[in-house]
Amino acid sequence: MFSPTRRAKRQSALRMFASEFGESTLYDRGPGEYDPGFVISKLGARANRLLVAGLLDRLEERETSSGGKLWQGQLRDASGLHFFSVGDFASDEVREFISDLEVRHRDGEPILLMMSAKARWFQNDEGSVYTSIRPEEICEINRARYGNWLVETCKSTLRRIDALNTASSSDGSRSEMSTIGVPADLLEGLVMSMNHYQDVDVEVYRLHVMRALDIAEGRNEVQTPKIVEKDATIVETESKSETSDGIRDVITSLISRMDQGDGVDFDTLVTNASARGHDRVIIEEELDNMSDSGLIHEPRFGWFKLS
Amino acid sequence: MRSVIRRFQSEKDPPASSSSGTSSNQSPTRKVSRLSELAADDRNIEIEVRIVSHNSRVQQVRGEDRDIAFGLLEDQPWDDSTESTRWEYKDWGGKNNLAPGSIVRVEGVSVNEYQGRMSLNINQNSRIVVLQEGTQPIVDITEPITVAQALESDGTITVVGRILTRRGDQIHRKDGSGSIDVVRGRIADDSGTIGFISWESLDFDEGALVKIERAQIRRFKDTPEINIGRFTKVEAYHDAAFADLDSLKAGSRARISDLRDGSRDVDLVVQLESWTKRSFTNDQGEEKNVWSGELLDPSGRCRMSAWEEIPIDESKLPLTIQLRGVRVRTWQGIPDITVDSASQMTMLDSPPWGEVIDGDDHVVEVELPELSSGSSRVGIKTSGSVVGIRSDSGLISRCPECRRVLRDGHCSMHDAVEGVEDIRLRMVLDDGIGNLSLILNKDASLGLLDLDESTLKNRINTEGSKTFIDGLRSSLLGVGLEVKGRTIVDEQGGMLIADSASIVEMDSALAAAEVRSQWGIE
Repeated sequence: MFSPTRRAKRQSALRMFASEFGESTLYDRGPGEYDPGFVISKLGARANRLLVAGLLDRLEERETSSGGKLWQGQLRDASGLHFFSVGDFASDEVREFISDLEVRHRDGEPILLMMSAKARWFQNDEGSVYTSIRPEEICEINRARYGNWLVETCKSTLRRIDALNTASSSDGSRSEMSTIGVPADLLEGLVMSMNHYQDVDVEVYRLHVMRALDIAEGRNEVQTPKIVEKDATIVETESKSETSDGIRDVITSLISRMDQGDGVDFDTLVTNASARGHDRVIIEEELDNMSDSGLIHEPRFGWFKLS
Repeated sequence: MRSVIRRFQSEKDPPASSSSGTSSNQSPTRKVSRLSELAADDRNIEIEVRIVSHNSRVQQVRGEDRDIAFGLLEDQPWDDSTESTRWEYKDWGGKNNLAPGSIVRVEGVSVNEYQGRMSLNINQNSRIVVLQEGTQPIVDITEPITVAQALESDGTITVVGRILTRRGDQIHRKDGSGSIDVVRGRIADDSGTIGFISWESLDFDEGALVKIERAQIRRFKDTPEINIGRFTKVEAYHDAAFADLDSLKAGSRARISDLRDGSRDVDLVVQLESWTKRSFTNDQGEEKNVWSGELLDPSGRCRMSAWEEIPIDESKLPLTIQLRGVRVRTWQGIPDITVDSASQMTMLDSPPWGEVIDGDDHVVEVELPELSSGSSRVGIKTSGSVVGIRSDSGLISRCPECRRVLRDGHCSMHDAVEGVEDIRLRMVLDDGIGNLSLILNKDASLGLLDLDESTLKNRINTEGSKTFIDGLRSSLLGVGLEVKGRTIVDEQGGMLIADSASIVEMDSALAAAEVRSQWGIE
């Protein structure tokens, strides 16, 4: 009587960056046996299915206890890593595709992938939450299609950030959120996410959007296969030739834009500036220089303000 | 606080002193943290739970109307890390603090087991202590909601509206034991209009403003309807600012995109594109005529049928006509308006939307989420990305009798038949909010792939169907499509049957710049 057994409608595939999905620690599932489950992100997305893309970062084959094969891998997009697994539960097509891919990946070939995947959620005994995805359909794509996916995902992410900002000015009830213009498809997730997560920092997600847009525009080659192949700590050599004035301008504009009163924290500044192609070491140096010359100051340790 | 004191009192009181209880051999309070610790005959339980849902309805208990609420609750409300167990509950006590989402301590509740299912009974003398407020308020079913909200509701509601139309009707019992007199009609407010059926006599005329308290929303086919029954109170309502009859009537005119299977008493203005007469012989061997035609308005297309001749001059098509009190059936998802008598139709000199619509080129652009959650539509176009390719795309064999797709040379109706070869593609179109199952017929498939029929057949026959599907996936997964066609939507989701589909060309650098300017990102 309470648990409808009829098949639920297909869930739409959310366009979501790895960082938003990976930082989710909330899961929701209806009472019925066949009700779909959702990973609820900090931005209030209810993810049952995702459309994701990125560079294949790692792929390992494991034996399962039942003797089957399980591939575990990572997919890197502009924001971070998706963890995916392909096992006995996957379709023959996906398993075959992944098995072919393994050889090429082992040879070091950079491979951009697009996948529609189901969201998975796991919590261990210590209470830590892990999210992962299981591809349903998968294919290799070129840079142009990756770029298009990045832009679509930026739009979805910005729409969610906007909805969260709007919702934050409400009393947290569904009805008031709806009245002040939160889109209907985000209401349920936002009610739950605002109840569960505290102090969501949307700037992180905006930063990932900026990084993704840079890549889509071809400004930033961070995510191109060739450069990502290297260790992440080794940065592009061309940025070393940057004049310190260039970096100074970037830092100044970053602080002026992102400062909401307390200054901007070190990590945010460095990630932001390096997303724009600057060397981390040089950024740190320049921050010191600017502090010394009084252009910026640190009201708190690690937080920078323009003087 | 009060409950704490009361609990102290009840703890001090020896159980035997509960004098009023007739059959209640008052058991000591059983305090548990998990529902799974409970047995079928446990009573006087105390447990902290999260209220998942709360629905109230009026139920007759020993001849008396009582507000009974039911819903779901789950244990372990504070601990997200352990799996919670969900049980149903029934609130016999009319508690007003069981808000969905809230965490409460329930005291003095008992277990009910029915056909192996365990649930909790919250009794009249149970206590509810709210420990954390819920996020959703309890809907008070006697508090009026708007007609638009009523259309989305289920169960008991209260609504204020003006009676637009009313007429007596009879419902014939299926077992032939007679008929019931009912009143049908529509009521409206600023937000919309909804049909009603009253099983009781209704002493209000057209134009009257009424408050209908505790009516049931029921659905006839896809159409929600207000049911006025024995427990419903209908009374005159006074509000000088309420919209008058004429403006509500003008505003309640339907558009084709609003039509649902089972809608009745519908008023709308449409453009009639074609009109043809067809004769057939019915079961009794009588010669009958039926007229049918194609309609459109700015929101889309549909069909119209008439069972008696109505005065339409075919040479003057397209014609703008106003229809009153007509009913809607759907056939293969396409709304079909039934006109029962010529008096329901009036000719208009010109369409209210300005110019006459060009019927050959009338395709309405609709967002994908609206299509996937709305009614079936004809003559639409939409866009989304391909998120799935079905492996039964490509070459298929159809039954020569009924066009069903054959499985291993067998038709589900006509058994083993010689199949007719056809081409189709099946995919999932999705924009991140809504999704539709997309079916491309032969022409649309060839158009999308930019291939002619023999090339495609050769390719599939040479490389095999699996390689063909893999190729399709690698060229289309995640790619944006613009699709024209019609939709069929039911509870399981929507299907878009495409006449044509094309890839949306996108330059990611330009699109990125657009996103920056739209959202103000440097």
